[in-house]
Amino acid sequence: MSLLSETLIITGRNLLKSVRVPILLFMSLFQPLMFLILFSQIFTSLADLPGFPYDTYLQFLVPAIIAMTALSSAFQSGLGTVSDVEDGMLDKFLIAPVHRISIMTGRILSDGVRIVAQATVVIVTAFAMGARYETGLAGLVVMIFLASIFGMAWAGLSNIVALRTQNAEVTMVIGIVLLFPILFLSTGFMPTSLLPDWLDTVARFNPLSYLIDAERALVNDGWEWSLIVQSIVVTLGLGAVTLTGATRAFRKAIS
Amino acid sequence: MALIEVTDLYKSFGDVRAVDGISFTVEEGIIFGFLGPNGAGKTTTIRILVTLAEQTSGTAIVGGIDVAANPRGVRNRVGYAAQATGIDRDLTGKENLILQGRLHGLAKAEAQREADAILEVISLSEVADRRAGTYSGGMARRLDLGQALIHRPNVLFLDEPTTGLDPQNRHAMWTYLRKLNDDGMTIFLTTQYLEEADELADTLAIIDNGRIVVEGSPTELKRGIGGDSVTLVPSSDGAADSLEVMATAMRALPKTNAVEKLAESVVVYLEDGGSRIAEIVRAIDATGVQLGRLELAEPSLDQVFLKHTGARLRVEDVKPPSRMSRNRMRT
Repeated sequence: MSLLSETLIITGRNLLKSVRVPILLFMSLFQPLMFLILFSQIFTSLADLPGFPYDTYLQFLVPAIIAMTALSSAFQSGLGTVSDVEDGMLDKFLIAPVHRISIMTGRILSDGVRIVAQATVVIVTAFAMGARYETGLAGLVVMIFLASIFGMAWAGLSNIVALRTQNAEVTMVIGIVLLFPILFLSTGFMPTSLLPDWLDTVARFNPLSYLIDAERALVNDGWEWSLIVQSIVVTLGLGAVTLTGATRAFRKAIS
Repeated sequence: MALIEVTDLYKSFGDVRAVDGISFTVEEGIIFGFLGPNGAGKTTTIRILVTLAEQTSGTAIVGGIDVAANPRGVRNRVGYAAQATGIDRDLTGKENLILQGRLHGLAKAEAQREADAILEVISLSEVADRRAGTYSGGMARRLDLGQALIHRPNVLFLDEPTTGLDPQNRHAMWTYLRKLNDDGMTIFLTTQYLEEADELADTLAIIDNGRIVVEGSPTELKRGIGGDSVTLVPSSDGAADSLEVMATAMRALPKTNAVEKLAESVVVYLEDGGSRIAEIVRAIDATGVQLGRLELAEPSLDQVFLKHTGARLRVEDVKPPSRMSRNRMRT
């Protein structure tokens, strides 16, 4: 069998599991949706500030929420890995004559698909709340794609933690602890012109900012190709690091 | 033809020699039993044979393929069920089987067909579409067995297939295994139950501290005991040398096959032990040692184990360690 078909079999199984236990799908959607609803109300009047680029805070916020969805969903990826270890499923995969790396690629790909579904829920909810998407359906497809690949790159990180610690609690807690700093030290919630200088600088080093900037342009301004390419390049760079690390941790865990 | 050939297999974890130079062969079509206490090296051996672990040295050949040189080739030919079941609790029993079939290269339709057939074999057809998480312990074990069978392997490796099962489910599992074997499946199983080894194994290897101490069919092994055994335990308030005194008296007894002095008892092996109890008691009495307990036993694997390891096989139904900790230190 090819690596691709093996990956697809494992992806299919992971997704079936997600559908059977939808609680995990909702857990990583719950916070983004709360943020979407609460922040868009609480910070409504930010849009009146001089220098605020858009008509409503909601228009500004939606890209950050899409990115947040990808991020918090990706942080759960390692939990699936730990549970496969504990359930004896990892051994079952290892005993099969498949490329062992398909266990990892299948995990990451199923995260990507899960994020597509979750990002769609966020986009539809925001639309119902009045958000409008400048680049239309094609733009939405690109937005979801960007969020999904970013999530897959980030999922590598969660799997490194999962495979190194081999502990569900630690994997979950690290996700919870890191989520907010990464989220707020980005360009997500306030225009950079209104951020303190130091935070602006930090945000530039945050890979999440590049995803948010590209998404924000697609939601509000049109096809800013340079931002889209930047986001893809940053994601690929991040992915190269995290997935190499995850592969290494995986090989170590099974050796 | 030998289906499994193991030569000088050795595996260490740091300073611990989990498998300490074992050699054995398993003929095609038999049930081969690995009997030993927890930590004897059973699981480590089986994990090497199914390519889940690598040996430190030595060779293992399964179905003509060297496990270290071509692990993927071996994986196609072996089925493996670990001591802790490996089933996805969120999928149905049938979905679990199909998944394993697909991972072993079966096309979707084929995997479905095979899954239905296997469900029949392991008597789970009626609960095929229920989530595996709702299965009882016995059902989960059977599903796990089914998963090991889906790709029609040449040999089935079962690591303590009945540990943790109640007697009824244990006997049911034996019936399934015997039926599979009758249909031609070679089975390698590990167990810490004497009764199970006696019941199932055509050939038995007793493993202790990483070494095979004796090997043969249960009948041969029991015959090797040398007749019935009489175990004599001195009264606890007796003198310190009472074991020695008893052993000497027994060695002086005519027509015994062997006398062994163990840590807390003396064992006399002799033919037709029942008719000679009075004689033995008189001989002990004459030494002045107070007898605490006397036990007469026909040749049994219990005796075989005692004879070759110097200790009774104690079954420890401890909860198996989590897999990850086992991965770090397999014993």
